[in-house]
Amino acid sequence: MGADAWYTFLMNPEALSALGNLFGERLRTTLETRICYSFDATGKKFLPDAVIYPINAEEVRQTVLLANRHRFPVVPRGAGSGFSGGSLPVHGGVVLSTERMDRIVAIDTENLYAVVEPGVVTETLKVEAKKHGLFYPPDPASLKFSTIGGNIAECSGGMSAVKYGVTRDYVLGLEAVLGTGELLRTGVATAKGVVGYDLTRMIVGSEGTLGIVTRATLRLLPHPEAAVTLLAFFSGNGDAVGAVNAVVAARVTPSAMEIMDRTAIDCVQANAPMSLPEGTGSALLLEVDGTPDFAAREADRLEEACRACGALAVRRASDAVGRDDLWKLRRSISPALRRVAPVKLNEDIVVPRSRLADMFAFLRDLSGRKNVRIVNFGHAGDGNIHVNIMISGTDADETRRADEAVEEVFRKTVEMGGTISGEHGVGISKAPFFEMEVGPLGVAVMKRLKGCFDPNGILNPGKIFLEEAAVRG
Amino acid sequence: MRAKAIVKDADLKALTGLCAKCGTCRTVCTLYPERKAEIAVARGKIALVEAAMSGEDGDAEAVQEALTDCLLCGRCERACPNQVLVEEIVMKGRADLAEEIGIPAWKRVLFGKVMTSPSATEIARKAAAAGQRLLPGKIPTASGLHYRFPDGLGGEGRTVPKLPAKGFLESLGKGEAAAGEVMLFVGCVFDHVFPQVGRAAYETVKASGKSVAVFRDAACCGLPAMVSGDRRSAAECAEANVRRLRAAEPGSIVFPCGSCLLMFRRNVFSLLPKGTPSYDDAVFVADRATDYASFLLSSGVLDRIPDPPPGEKVGEIGYHDPCHLTGTLGKGPEAREVLSRAVGPAFAEMAGADLCCGYGGTFNVRDYPTSARIGENKVSVAARGGTRVISTACSGCVLQMRDMVARTDPSLRVVHIAELVHQALFRGDGSGLRR
Ligand SMILES: Cc1cc2nc3c(=O)[nH]c(=O)nc-3n(C[C@H](O)[C@H](O)[C@H](O)COP(=O)(O)OP(=O)(O)OC[C@H]3O[C@@H](n4cnc5c(N)ncnc54)[C@H](O)[C@@H]3O)c2cc1C
Ligand code: SF4
Ligand code: SF4
Ligand code: SF4
Repeated sequence: MGADAWYTFLMNPEALSALGNLFGERLRTTLETRICYSFDATGKKFLPDAVIYPINAEEVRQTVLLANRHRFPVVPRGAGSGFSGGSLPVHGGVVLSTERMDRIVAIDTENLYAVVEPGVVTETLKVEAKKHGLFYPPDPASLKFSTIGGNIAECSGGMSAVKYGVTRDYVLGLEAVLGTGELLRTGVATAKGVVGYDLTRMIVGSEGTLGIVTRATLRLLPHPEAAVTLLAFFSGNGDAVGAVNAVVAARVTPSAMEIMDRTAIDCVQANAPMSLPEGTGSALLLEVDGTPDFAAREADRLEEACRACGALAVRRASDAVGRDDLWKLRRSISPALRRVAPVKLNEDIVVPRSRLADMFAFLRDLSGRKNVRIVNFGHAGDGNIHVNIMISGTDADETRRADEAVEEVFRKTVEMGGTISGEHGVGISKAPFFEMEVGPLGVAVMKRLKGCFDPNGILNPGKIFLEEAAVRG
Repeated sequence: MRAKAIVKDADLKALTGLCAKCGTCRTVCTLYPERKAEIAVARGKIALVEAAMSGEDGDAEAVQEALTDCLLCGRCERACPNQVLVEEIVMKGRADLAEEIGIPAWKRVLFGKVMTSPSATEIARKAAAAGQRLLPGKIPTASGLHYRFPDGLGGEGRTVPKLPAKGFLESLGKGEAAAGEVMLFVGCVFDHVFPQVGRAAYETVKASGKSVAVFRDAACCGLPAMVSGDRRSAAECAEANVRRLRAAEPGSIVFPCGSCLLMFRRNVFSLLPKGTPSYDDAVFVADRATDYASFLLSSGVLDRIPDPPPGEKVGEIGYHDPCHLTGTLGKGPEAREVLSRAVGPAFAEMAGADLCCGYGGTFNVRDYPTSARIGENKVSVAARGGTRVISTACSGCVLQMRDMVARTDPSLRVVHIAELVHQALFRGDGSGLRR
């Protein structure tokens, strides 16, 4: 983007003034506010023309109607914690922040579901549900700040996906404003429902390109009574992966099974040191939940499996504070990577669990061949590895080698029968590799669907599809 | 292209460069629930500083305004997985912008002329005390009279403490507490506004049996000037203080105010250039500077508290964590230990103990309604949890929370822990230590 584009308004003044009539002081066009909504956790920057803070579905609807009339992009944004640039206004336009649509509308303790607005922070829902003895399982590492709307749009998964599944598995129904400005209600508030096409699932994971979620009905479970967390240290990635397979073979279903390589551990060590057994080359974080007896017994079996696979040490906690302490290592990794190098190419591939060891071996070899630093951690239980290629961002040759490495990782992943994104979505980061996975027909069908929901390409243009036509014609 | 960098500090680049824009800081920011906009959060402010450094944002006033909208409570910094020094970034950013466009006139006079000179502070207080009699609407609280601030002056519903005719230092005899191995740094608020706190701190420290001097020629610690971006005035204050403190050669320096302590334990070092005599003086002071509670614990004073401690109701007394004292300097357990020993089971952990009180120094002046909403929430969370007496150890927190209880529930009390220790040591039944 040219330097000037950074400052210039792309939207016509008439559109802005119409928005002003609608939103009053909740329309912000100062450069300062626009800068604050120009980034997400990818670190990339695109300046919007304006930011709005709607408080209900009707305001969202009016916005989209205006956008169709004046042809400006509308980019929904929750907490801006996305890792694929989904909330970045790459073609300018309006960032629609859901920060002020943050009410938990209802928690139905009889039918076990919650109705929430999209700006509710995931952890807030988890905490409120727990007060009723209920459980909302999805737990992305960003749960303390990411929003339900963002989680739904990205179909976020987390540590507990190995046992409980991902966001998709908890969305019963949605209310969303389509690209036409129509308000669509999908799904059910019952445990079952099979009437017609599954529009709910269409919108889940659609990255804000099909509709703007204004309300969601989410399934809740009874809250497990107890949980036990284990942190096992191994000398290398191979042993840790071996332990993962041993756990699966023992037919235990942990509620978390997270792997970290040595570099990942070291990143966190710099900030919050913890004592490591001599020779630590990797770590595995495991959790089991259920009744106290059950959790304790399963934890014993996990510990056994780890030791049998050569664990150097296994730490264990069943109280909240102790568990939190063990979790800290895992939760701090992603942001702490900043200390390794200023720029990270952050990929979240998934391979069949049985191919994990092969993938790790491939990554080690790749790192050597391309001479770039690669840090790996992730949800071993799902075969989901966060592959972080760390570069300075200032060395053109290094950047080229890193880009090549990314492409190789994706090719290898698809070849192994995996997927190029387990949770972060396509956004702008993976758009170039999108077709590699879904194929030309997949792309074509998806584009036709996009046309049904958003004929004028108002919603979040420039995402997922590489050659998305710019909104302005 | 309007590429004029309005923020230039070279250190800033290194500091902001660590921010991964992850958003963790959104979860803890004191201001965020009030503003619900990214510009209020550390991540947004850092983005603005970056834009200002690169010349992308050239509107100095607007950036200054955004950076001023922060309580400097440091909660973001403590939650940040990358240990980004947010307070430092905000303060440095403010300083650079102050250099570029200045600071508001009222702040300039206050920091440049009044606070650097002890006598001027005193004159200001006397003038204020005299003027205060003209304020309407006295309202009673448990801790004495408060005045209701006239509405329409930007401080709607604000109450201000009744200023005493005499400050604490003034009430001491001329040669009293002039020299000693322990030096007490009272701080202007506990000298001029709440002299009873100054006195309680002095007498309880003296009960250690050590010889105690009171630091009389104190200039303001410099924190208000520093946070406003007036680094020159702040450095002047700091220099004058560390020079005089060192000259007095104390073995330790006790601070009843967490904010003053933060200044001498941490902030002065970014004001005074390394290698200068002032810097050495600052190191001398920092090595000896200690918070009130830690001093008491190490001094044996608490052993002299008669058993059983005087009877408030079980669980009635709570402790509020001053952001800087507990958060930044990590001094939280000490005050709790002091309280347990001084008041026994009357002390219980307070609901929302670590929530910021919303004072934020000049933030309270700049946006009183917001400051008050945060503060009212703070004290009402505590009250709902059963706390009736909120104790703490920072002058700003005492000021703020006294205002808040006056506004919401005047039956609550806000005290400095020194007042409770004093009560325990010198209680009237003859069993305690008596003067
Ligand atoms: C430290 C850290 C850890 C993370 N860990 C995980 C993890 O474990 N698992 C994981 O899956 N992700 C993880 N992420 C990525 C990110 O948090 C998730 O993608 C999250 O769901 C984004 O939520 P958000 O509210 O920040 O959305 P944003 O980033 O604001 O937006 C994400 C996408 O959702 C769209 N969107 C937002 N709100 C709506 C709405 N109401 N309607 C329609 N579209 C909408 C946006 O347009 C955009 O395309 C992590 C991120 C960070 C910074
Ligand atoms: S928590 Fe730290 S790294 Fe993350 S956005 Fe805030 S300041 Fe930046
Ligand atoms: S210092 Fe406090 S108010 Fe300021 S950004 Fe950080 S958390 Fe928010
Ligand atoms: S921080 Fe406040 S109380 Fe302490 S010296 Fe400075 S102005 Fe006075």
